[in-house]
Amino acid sequence: MFLAFHEMRRAKVRFGLLTGAVGLLVFLILFQQTLLTGLVNQFIGALKNQSGEVLVYNGQARKNLEGSIILAQQAAEIAAIDGVADAAPLGEATFTVTAGGDERDTVIFGYELGRTGAPTTLIEGRLPATDNEAVASEKDRADGYDIGDVVQVLPDGVQITVVGIARDINFSVAPVLFVDFATFESAKRTRNPDATTILPSAIAIHVADGASPEAVADAINAQVEGVQALTRQQAVDGAPGVKSVRDSFRVILALFYLVVPLVTGLFFLIVTFQKASALTLLRAIGAPAKLLVRGLLVQVVIVTALGSLVAFGLYAAALQGVKNLGVHVEVATSVYTSLVVLALALVTSLVAIRRVLRIDPIAATTGAGVHL
Amino acid sequence: MSVLEMTDVRKVYRSGDIDIVALDHATLQVEHGEIVALLGPSGSGKTTLLSIAGGLLTPTEGTVVVNGNDITDHDAKELTGFRRENIGFVFQSVNLVPFLNAEENLLVVDELGGGKGDKAAKARARGLLDELGLGHRAKNMPAQLSGGERQRVAIGRALFNNPKLVLFDEPTSALDTKIGAQVMELIHSEMKARDTAAIIVTHDRRMTEYADRTVEIVDGRLGAAGLQTAAH
Repeated sequence: MFLAFHEMRRAKVRFGLLTGAVGLLVFLILFQQTLLTGLVNQFIGALKNQSGEVLVYNGQARKNLEGSIILAQQAAEIAAIDGVADAAPLGEATFTVTAGGDERDTVIFGYELGRTGAPTTLIEGRLPATDNEAVASEKDRADGYDIGDVVQVLPDGVQITVVGIARDINFSVAPVLFVDFATFESAKRTRNPDATTILPSAIAIHVADGASPEAVADAINAQVEGVQALTRQQAVDGAPGVKSVRDSFRVILALFYLVVPLVTGLFFLIVTFQKASALTLLRAIGAPAKLLVRGLLVQVVIVTALGSLVAFGLYAAALQGVKNLGVHVEVATSVYTSLVVLALALVTSLVAIRRVLRIDPIAATTGAGVHL
Repeated sequence: MSVLEMTDVRKVYRSGDIDIVALDHATLQVEHGEIVALLGPSGSGKTTLLSIAGGLLTPTEGTVVVNGNDITDHDAKELTGFRRENIGFVFQSVNLVPFLNAEENLLVVDELGGGKGDKAAKARARGLLDELGLGHRAKNMPAQLSGGERQRVAIGRALFNNPKLVLFDEPTSALDTKIGAQVMELIHSEMKARDTAAIIVTHDRRMTEYADRTVEIVDGRLGAAGLQTAAH
């Protein structure tokens, strides 16, 4: 460690610049990942953060909740499947409402109070306890969806009071209100007063203890005609637009994950070349190769760790500026990203390590001819 | 028991189909506290001999015993440990680690041996630098030292572990005559004060006056062994 620390202390600018570069690149990774999560949450947060472990759509809806209805007979057959503890109707539709004095498109999710389909990320207030109450998304509070605000479905429809705030429950990049199913029905009738029956868009299922969501979804698909059962994760992943957004971001992220370790690996390779004569001298006077390699690895770890800290600081600061995108600091993701970057940086430093291991101490006797 | 006993040592390099004999049946003994000048022209094999004596190279034939340890068949890892524990080196030009100051260039020896650079090690490094007239330069980086000062720091590093044998490879070739003479004076006095044996490789006959004995080497063969030179 003696050599590694002294070298870094004496070359603060060089190692500082690398740390800064690593920090900026890791920051970009963290920020892009969070933007992706935020964007995806705005598409499908309401599905991801509701209590149904399995969602059953109409078989022709192509995993699109907007185009799905479940008939009463299908709902009954679904409820009878082994492993289903609760099968509750879940309604979803987009309405024009007045909120905060403006007309806005808002997605209303209707679920039966006390049953499956309620939002799971409540951070303030409470869940609806009766008709005409709603939980809204944290992201939209400033737009007339805060606790105590009244949202009216147009034209002249039901008035809904926000009683709770939940995190990440947007849908199709629009504000969301989770209301009881009767309120959802009222809203639908505002738009279509002649409707005799309001059918649910999907069935939200809570699986029995010991049953797996995957097995229950498979059983429903096998036994109920005309429906498509998906686990919550499958519903999220299969929602329209989500895959293409994720794929685009993944290409960008993959490039960053490639660039960071390459920058680190190249830096240490160059440094190894530059200090070749010193390393040769040390080998000649009895430095074990593993001691020099260990010093190199310690430097890689320090640079990556400090770079990650710089990145985390930039990331936390930057997110304050884009709160309206519904993004949050993701500590676990940041730690995971830093560890992946560190592992990749260690892999790319293998080239420098190989150079160190190839040093022949006899080169110390050849003076200017010292090379790796 | 001699500090160094090289017996019938050959070193042969293969270049294509040709064998190049760098050292040919060389036999040399160096006693405790003895300073031997190894004199020869460029390409005569003197650095090869020095490298084999110091465990930087292994001989093709013959035996090498240093301070009672037969290192002839040591592998690379064993030789690394052997060099660290038993030999001091001062090379021609590559002698100091550029990102360590003078004191740290001595302490690195302690670090390589598993030490932590504790107070005792620091005191020893300071003591050596004082003895070499470099106490005031302890915190200077190599780039801030003159050529003669750098070689003196290198001598301090070579002596840090109290080796029984120190090998000098053209230690004054990069210095002017006056500074070179001062460095040789210092080498002589330090070796004698410690009863440490030394081999000094040189092609400058003037430097032999600081040795107890001069051994000439030509085309890989030792000659005139045992030639006594008046101690300086």
